[in-house]
Amino acid sequence: MTTLSQLGLLTQWQLRRQATMLPLLVVVQVFLAIATILGFGLVIGEPTPEQALYLATGAPTITLVMVGLVMTPQMVSQARTEGSLDWMRTLPVPRGLFLLSDLVVWTLIALPGMVLGIVVGMLRFDVHLSLAAWFVPAALLVSLTAAAVGYGMASLLKPTLAMLMTQVLVFVILLFTPVSFPADRMPSWLQTAHAWLPFEPMAQLVRSGLASDTFSVPGRSLVVLLVWSAAAVAGATWALRRRA
Amino acid sequence: MGTDDVLTVRGLRKRYRGRTGVQANDGIDLDVAAGQVVGLLGHNGAGKSTLVNQVVGLVLPDAGTIHLDGIDAVAQPHLARARASIQAQANVPITGLTPRRAVELVGRIRGARRPEVRRRTEHLLDALDLGPWADTPAEKVSGGIARLTAFAMTVVAPGRLVVLDEPTNDVDPVRRRLLWQQIRALADDGHAVLLVTHNVREAERVVDRLAILDHGVVLAEDTPAGLTAPLRGALTVEVDLAHDATPTTEPGTTGPAVAWHPAVRPVAATRGRASGTVAADAAPEVVRWAQAEVEAGRLERYALTPASLEDVYVALVGDARPATDAPTPATTPEVAA
Repeated sequence: MTTLSQLGLLTQWQLRRQATMLPLLVVVQVFLAIATILGFGLVIGEPTPEQALYLATGAPTITLVMVGLVMTPQMVSQARTEGSLDWMRTLPVPRGLFLLSDLVVWTLIALPGMVLGIVVGMLRFDVHLSLAAWFVPAALLVSLTAAAVGYGMASLLKPTLAMLMTQVLVFVILLFTPVSFPADRMPSWLQTAHAWLPFEPMAQLVRSGLASDTFSVPGRSLVVLLVWSAAAVAGATWALRRRA
Repeated sequence: MGTDDVLTVRGLRKRYRGRTGVQANDGIDLDVAAGQVVGLLGHNGAGKSTLVNQVVGLVLPDAGTIHLDGIDAVAQPHLARARASIQAQANVPITGLTPRRAVELVGRIRGARRPEVRRRTEHLLDALDLGPWADTPAEKVSGGIARLTAFAMTVVAPGRLVVLDEPTNDVDPVRRRLLWQQIRALADDGHAVLLVTHNVREAERVVDRLAILDHGVVLAEDTPAGLTAPLRGALTVEVDLAHDATPTTEPGTTGPAVAWHPAVRPVAATRGRASGTVAADAAPEVVRWAQAEVEAGRLERYALTPASLEDVYVALVGDARPATDAPTPATTPEVAA
């Protein structure tokens, strides 16, 4: 039994467990991605080309981050509450594979929404995108980091508290994070905070991956994101290995 | 400790920290040999689940050792997990899957090959009479079927040690028998089976050995015959109180109780029902007393049966609360009234 086939089987288990909810989850993600674009469009009115580009390239980030930071913790908390997480942990499976299989599942769920968000953004704002060759691995890195942070949060906090945190995060990420607008619109203290949080680097990475001839990723942002990614994966794996 | 022991637990201690700090395991010694079904009996909170969770590395012991099939389960939990399969007390939710699909997937996740898993799944579904439900979505099957599916998931590719936590809960009487046969078959195939339960009566018929756990320690460990030996020559008497009988209240208790014949040693009492033990040579007297009580309308019915493991269990765990009152089965009919 190779690790890879075990990962495939675990992913199959998780996907099938969600089978009844899967179409709905995908629809909600698509809806969220489109709503972000159309909704912010309403708030702003007729955006300038720069604003339009921010909105069109911000929506995919929001989809990826929402799935990772909101839906992953909700599902993990549910699995903890109903006892299936503890049972899965009795199986002879390397702990990291649980995390990895969940990441595969959540990335698959986020994918249609992300792609449709990009298409709707291009149509609605009539923007021109220039896809970078590294866009796919970049999107995977963003997805991985968000889901690992969400996973760790759900593993370490009490289920009810984790659920509450996800509600707060939705609000903060939609309105107080420079994803769909430039960072210089925020007060300076918030800018400083975002210099150390993973969300702005995520947005920068996706933005410049989609419109590579307009935006670029600062090296510092990439480092911040990689550090968060490594820490989140390590934290989530530690949480899975932990013995009470 | 024999040479064919699969699971060997020595001096296992675990205290959960926090405000309500509970000493869940307080020095447990336990052996489970290959080919044996060992029953672990105990109340809720006796420390059964904590013990199981330490074997597969979900809980870290404070002290003590666990050896599983030659490996140190505390130091190398991942190796322990490869050697043990666990059926949890709560049903694993398998919504979205069918029983067959769930059993097959777990078998393959546990590392068995596809043809072997198919064959074994088919065998288990058939042996547990799950055929009619095998391909029904899990959200449409009853609790008993879900319980049997969880059992099949556990034993489709069994480890050297199989731990079953209350496997018969919610299972109908017919399939329950089939389930006991499969549990026995596991042991006969050379697996070590640890059966966690508080269903004393059922366990008695299948287990080779029994360990009685209370407050985190093993109070007694022996074969069912060995455990009931002190009660040999004793009978259990059960009575149902008549509905319109005026209840007398025992000193120190609040509920209605039976005014027992002096030869009976009371064991348990619930609302409207009570049981006790009586020495075999005093049985005729007690039958006469009970018959008179029935005729007087104070008892609904009565029954005398051979003293069971349940009586031993209650004597050890139930009556042991006031620690000085040693659980000695009544062997003489001269009990103070």
